[in-house]
Amino acid sequence: MVKKKCVAMLLAGGKGSRLSSLTKNLAKPAVPYGGKYRIIDFTLSNCTNSGIDTVGVLTQYQPLVLNSYIGIGSAWDLDRRNGGVTVLPPYSESSEVKWYKGTASAIYENLNYLKQYDPEYVLILSGDHIYKMDYSKMLKYHIENEADVSISVIEVPWEEASRFGIMNTNEDMEILEFEEKPQYPKNNLASMGIYIFKFSVLKEFLEMDARNPYSSHDFGKDVIPLLLEENKKLVAYPFKGYWKDVGTVKSLWEANMDLLKENPQLDLYDQEWRIYSVNPNHPPQYIHEQAEVTESLVTEGCYVYGNVEHSVLFQGVTIGQNSIIKNCVIMPDAVIGKNVVIENAIVPSGLEIPDGMIIRPDKNLEEVILVTEELVEETTVTFENK
Amino acid sequence: MRKIFRKDGRLLNQSMLGIVDATAYKEEIKDLTLCRTIAAIPFAGRYRLIDFVLSNMVNSGIESVAIFPKYQYRSLMDHLGSGKQWDLNRKRDGLFFFPSPHLHHEYDEFGSFKQYSDHIDYFLRSRQKYAVITNSYTVCNIDFQKVLKHHIEMGCDITEVCQNGKSLQMYIMSTELLMDLMKEVAYSNYKSLHDVVSSPDEFTICQYEHKGYVAVIDSIEKYFKHSLEMLKPEIWQSIFLKDRPIYTKVKDEPPTRYGRNSKVHNSFVANGCIIEGKVENSIIFRGVHIRKDTVVKNSIVMQKSQIGEGCTLDHAILDKDAKIGHNIKLIGDEKYPYVVQKGTVQGALMNS
Repeated sequence: MVKKKCVAMLLAGGKGSRLSSLTKNLAKPAVPYGGKYRIIDFTLSNCTNSGIDTVGVLTQYQPLVLNSYIGIGSAWDLDRRNGGVTVLPPYSESSEVKWYKGTASAIYENLNYLKQYDPEYVLILSGDHIYKMDYSKMLKYHIENEADVSISVIEVPWEEASRFGIMNTNEDMEILEFEEKPQYPKNNLASMGIYIFKFSVLKEFLEMDARNPYSSHDFGKDVIPLLLEENKKLVAYPFKGYWKDVGTVKSLWEANMDLLKENPQLDLYDQEWRIYSVNPNHPPQYIHEQAEVTESLVTEGCYVYGNVEHSVLFQGVTIGQNSIIKNCVIMPDAVIGKNVVIENAIVPSGLEIPDGMIIRPDKNLEEVILVTEELVEETTVTFENK
Repeated sequence: MRKIFRKDGRLLNQSMLGIVDATAYKEEIKDLTLCRTIAAIPFAGRYRLIDFVLSNMVNSGIESVAIFPKYQYRSLMDHLGSGKQWDLNRKRDGLFFFPSPHLHHEYDEFGSFKQYSDHIDYFLRSRQKYAVITNSYTVCNIDFQKVLKHHIEMGCDITEVCQNGKSLQMYIMSTELLMDLMKEVAYSNYKSLHDVVSSPDEFTICQYEHKGYVAVIDSIEKYFKHSLEMLKPEIWQSIFLKDRPIYTKVKDEPPTRYGRNSKVHNSFVANGCIIEGKVENSIIFRGVHIRKDTVVKNSIVMQKSQIGEGCTLDHAILDKDAKIGHNIKLIGDEKYPYVVQKGTVQGALMNS
């Protein structure tokens, strides 16, 4: 193998349990977002656009969809002769099956993968976040600061700071203290879960952590505190721009609605920083004579016969005649019948909504409904609507 | 004879070569072929004309396709690439590109044996017993397996696909007969497929009636008519079939964004567009920007074209990368649609 300067390790085993039934059959990084993407597309595209051509993707929870989606990485131009994308599932050794116990143990179990490339630096990423970031700039920062570890941070509103892992730094952005979800935050710089390590330091500390039976083998909880304890040089890399952890149904819905704003912070139309994804082969979107589509994102393979307002439609979606779709996210291949009304909702992939069904929040307009098969079964259709 | 089965169970001696004759040049459609061959003309929002014959071949189980291009084939080669999008980037067989080694016009006609015989090695190396020969600009969804079955049952030398008695320039014959015709081209009277099918005394010619929708795109008028015809549900539903899809080169465009005041009716829109105005009975290709207070109706707007504010387009064809300023009217009619050539700038340049 040819030696690489920097290899990325992408943690994609997240269960995303707060996303409820959306992650019943797939890992969080595979959740659809933005009309044609899956969440992991953003991190993989960032890698390609940042010139990082060697990416190990660590999967664990419900990996089928994710594995077949990633394939050999050609969608992100990561099907390379030397490097490219490699899916790294947990494996069994002669004595035991090694499930990834935490983020740090996932990397530790794959040190052999990294050793093949003998990189100087390792970039550790999470496949759970939506953002555009040039990792090559962070790497440059890391090298210039002669840091052992650089951690990307973003300013969050003070009132929300206690929900994040907070970095307390000095004026030179050197990290003095790391507090996981502090009750009384001293700072509002939240860790984005993006780390660059000197490979030698990473190896040393992962081995140290693996020997500790009391460790939960997590970067944030165990490895970072250990590095601070050992007086390693940790610096914070300030990131500005759109960054969203879509941990809940509501935040996933909000992140989709963010794209419908007049000038969205996350620009999907930027030719210089394309977000790549697996492009299914569908005919163009068909907008019928009687259809109305406003303030929405619609993808190829959609057939729109009804009214779509302020919504995101993924590929292969059908909206039947006289139906009204408002403030919704309709995931791939969902079929909405005729005379249907859906407001403030996420309709998951492939779900069929029968003619005449009305799904909308009762009074509370803040509420976001995740439509499920059970909900469809329970909802009665009034005769007039059918 | 020992039967050789392939892994998908099809008999090897019933498999076909696909020959796409992309040599055509038509004066009647020259406005769209200044920078490309007919085969590469954009069609139906996200395709090129060749996608239809090529997808038909692939969907009929053809694994070896030879393209014979002639004029301006840069954009065609760019579009087809390695053939990956049609699953034709194979270790064995796959997609082959055979540009004419000579630039004289003596065998310009469709189905010219001289054109094929310049690349006879391809035929000599192929194992497929039959060959399908088509032009590059016929839009339809046809199963060549059915044509082959008919051909074998009827025991003809050549089967010609027709609709209402009119030839669709699609033929099936044995590869052996095709090679014989190639080898003898210098001495015989048969210079092209047309010569052969016009001689029913010497060859048995059968016809296969294709019942589905067909559009032959060989003039601007027909291009315009058939493009807008695709908007009829009964027509697009017979072309875009789920189990026999039309493949094309895919692009990484984001979804299309519809603005607050957009009004779109009876139209096909590809990805990556920003639509702020009104679009009616039109075909909009990928990456098109239509600004507010603009009306586009009965028109075809190709990739990455930009239309400013307050414009009116009716019966117009905008080729790729056209830039239309503000408050401009482009009005044509069914017979003579207003054509804006590739990359043309009309009106004051926009700032963004």
